[in-house]
Amino acid sequence: MVGNDYDVVVVGAGGDGPVAAWKLAEAGLSVLVLEAGPFYGNEQWPAPSERPGGEASSSVADLSGELLDEQFTTREFEMVNKLLFGPADHERGFWFRKFPGDGAILQCAGVGGTTLHYTGCHPRAYPASMDEQGHWPIAYAELLPYYREIEEMCEVTPAPVTAKEELFFRGAAAAGWPLLHDLNVTTSGYRPQPNAIRRPDPKLHVDAGYDGPVTYPEVRGDTLSLGNIAGNPHPRGAPYEEKAKRSSNVSFVPAALETGNVTIRPNAFVTDVRTETALGDAPTATGVDFRDTWSGRTERVDAEVVVLAAGAIETPRLWKNADLPDNEWVGRGLTIHFGDNVMGLWREADLDERLGKGTIDQHEGQDIAARFDYPGLGMLQTVGTTPGVGAILGFGASASGFTFQNDPADAPWDTMGRLAGPELKRLLADYRRMLQMLVVSDDRPHRRNGVTVTPGLADEHGPIPVVNYEPSEGDRKRRDELATIAAEILREAGAAHVHRSDSPPTALHVHSTMRMGYVLDEACEAYDVDRLFVADHSALSNGVGGANPTNTGQALAARTAERILDRHF
Amino acid sequence: MYDERVRRIRRWIDAVLRGSASALELLADLVSGSEDVELHTVVTFRAVVDAVVPETPELDPELGPDHVPGGLGVDLEEFVVTYVDDGFQLGLPYLGPRGNVPLADPIAQLLDVAALALLDRGGNTGELDDDRPVSLLDPGEASPREVRAAAGAFSKLSRRDRLRAVGLLDELELEISQFDGELFEFDGGLVGQLVVGFTEMIYYSEWQGYDEFTQPPSERVHPNDPAAVQSWRQTGYPGFSPGYAALRGYLGSDDGPLGDGDAWTTVDEESSVRILREPGSFRENDYDTSDYAEPFPE
Ligand SMILES: Cc1cc2nc3c(=O)[nH]c(=O)nc-3n(C[C@H](O)[C@H](O)[C@H](O)COP(=O)(O)OP(=O)(O)OC[C@H]3O[C@@H](n4cnc5c(N)ncnc54)[C@H](O)[C@@H]3O)c2cc1C
Repeated sequence: MVGNDYDVVVVGAGGDGPVAAWKLAEAGLSVLVLEAGPFYGNEQWPAPSERPGGEASSSVADLSGELLDEQFTTREFEMVNKLLFGPADHERGFWFRKFPGDGAILQCAGVGGTTLHYTGCHPRAYPASMDEQGHWPIAYAELLPYYREIEEMCEVTPAPVTAKEELFFRGAAAAGWPLLHDLNVTTSGYRPQPNAIRRPDPKLHVDAGYDGPVTYPEVRGDTLSLGNIAGNPHPRGAPYEEKAKRSSNVSFVPAALETGNVTIRPNAFVTDVRTETALGDAPTATGVDFRDTWSGRTERVDAEVVVLAAGAIETPRLWKNADLPDNEWVGRGLTIHFGDNVMGLWREADLDERLGKGTIDQHEGQDIAARFDYPGLGMLQTVGTTPGVGAILGFGASASGFTFQNDPADAPWDTMGRLAGPELKRLLADYRRMLQMLVVSDDRPHRRNGVTVTPGLADEHGPIPVVNYEPSEGDRKRRDELATIAAEILREAGAAHVHRSDSPPTALHVHSTMRMGYVLDEACEAYDVDRLFVADHSALSNGVGGANPTNTGQALAARTAERILDRHF
Repeated sequence: MYDERVRRIRRWIDAVLRGSASALELLADLVSGSEDVELHTVVTFRAVVDAVVPETPELDPELGPDHVPGGLGVDLEEFVVTYVDDGFQLGLPYLGPRGNVPLADPIAQLLDVAALALLDRGGNTGELDDDRPVSLLDPGEASPREVRAAAGAFSKLSRRDRLRAVGLLDELELEISQFDGELFEFDGGLVGQLVVGFTEMIYYSEWQGYDEFTQPPSERVHPNDPAAVQSWRQTGYPGFSPGYAALRGYLGSDDGPLGDGDAWTTVDEESSVRILREPGSFRENDYDTSDYAEPFPE
């Protein structure tokens, strides 16, 4: 049973919320985590997309690897539909957000949040993005102890090499870039991804001649089968906590439940933050209202401290719908790592020479296991995708029309634009000889970009978020420069054809809408509401230089939890 | 129910046209001329699928007969219609089943608006052809006369012009008054996402292998076999696997902490970067950002 009074209520069990819950509960506080989406892999909800199931989970014994295996089928279309931001009930569609332009926002609902989709890449911020860009009220060095703590919990290690990474490393080396060995990156170069995915079983070396089952317990750790975007339940047969990918539901949720002080209630969409205001004072948060997404009933819970961790779109939406004091930065300053896709296609003979086989086989290995860093510009990473996800992310959208409408004449790519028709089928016929690079640029916070709500546009949880994003001239230049470097690396790696998507703004990484130093103070407590904290990626003061943001979001959430203890308990 | 649907679509289109160029207003009658909404939607979505993942006999000599069939060969359009009707909800109980907003009919109408806008601008390279929509249906499915009457401009365009028309929608920010007293903004770019992006994703995913995707997840079965998924045969994707013995090792170099032990292969002779058998770790280095130079200051 969910009580109605806790020391702390955390709104959202995504990438960062469970980190704060774990730290607070370890210190002995009672914590309730309310999550809008379902709880997969939990005995309380044997069919979480079909029936309401139990009410809440407070015990690590509820976690079940077997159920996770059943629910996370790794079938890409099914899993994307299951995980994308929407109610548990499979008969109901996604929760709608308005995103002008033809881009999209990718976030998940469910315990684990968007880390259910994420590919486990866990680099630190570029130190210069915190120390030199002038957005952050704290120094990079402040985060170091928290990074170490998070990296240990998530078992971050240099990612393994399979064929696609080898091809990329050869290209990057031939293009003259150095290999980086460091966690704190201040110069440009390439390196294996620091991934929050357990190392593959050594048995799986191509030389080892292993032909037994690739399931637990014969094989432990990662099994080198693509599938992170589809939730990655590998190795199949393993207990919940032994799953290789350390998404927050696997890394932090068991640790939080283990304390005995945490209750997680899924299918609970928070719609209001309650406050009290003593005469002449700033309001003080006293609890939240939430709506059960199955029954539609609204309930209320009181807490000494409220922590918003609903992600960089829903946290400002909730703030605005709860009618909390506005300041000119609430919801503003959104960064999304304005991205692009550049891909190479190879001839069989060229691959044979470089890899000893005629295919790259992007479906083998970890999704994203190699990277290129350029502090000040952002990053590049190799991406393996299953064909459907690859098609929608890489080919299905472009800001510059279809390939047949563009003539890239002197550009570093042979074709550019959206692919459809015979061009699409021809390209995808080369799926196994294709390597895609994701361009992730260090876009900067601008006030025009962000989340607003309009009273007329409402769903069952109040006015929906309307998201605006328009990159600046500098953001575009950084992205173009990275796309050019990507094309050079692919050519050096022997690609016979290079294609650039010129993707419309697509938000895989979403941050900095409730920025520390603008909406939040240096402890991530709201300037204008006492006892209200933010512990998700919206609290980041900028896009951390273009590095994958979760390590930083989690490190900051861990730090915020300590500040909450210092200030209020 | 039928009347309600037509009424809704009419209002949707009226609002679209109010927001679009004035020349288009003259064409309002043309667009909403069709009374057979269902057939119109079917024909339009076939025209979409036929443009996005067409049958491609031209790929046979180059790539082989497996690469000829397209989306219509696997009834992709039927599922795309179901998907866009069920996929989005505003959580309002009176908006269709479970609060999902049925989008297929209005999208089909919007595609006609886009087609007319393309013609209006002279952006088309081919002419409208009344026989195209007829050829998108199987013989006997509906009489050619009915099809011609139901079909809108979009399905009469050439494949490439259909894509050009979709492209025009990316530029439109539409404001649509869909329900009494409620403003519902709709963005043209979403149409492109749904009809191009999602059509591609569904086609190249495992979708075709299900007996019935709309079943509850716990009852869905999938054979996980390229024999059951045409697009897998076209991409060479082998199906989902619990794992692969694909490990080549770990990146490292003579002077770094990243790897250790035997070299499997050398990446770069000059800098001694190798792929090694044993993993290493990153270095917890001192950092210094004092010589940082902003590449593109703003
Ligand atoms: C395909 C993909 C791959 C990615 N790969 C990586 C990667 O490799 N490395 C990396 O660093 N990042 C990656 N990301 C991004 C990363 O997943 C996110 O940045 C991270 O999860 C954000 O954490 P968060 O806590 O801010 O928000 P989220 O993880 O989105 O969590 C927010 C949670 O709050 C819940 N919620 C929302 N509103 C409410 C409400 N009102 N009441 C209750 N609950 C609510 C949501 O359902 C959700 O569970 C990837 C993203 C995608 C889409």
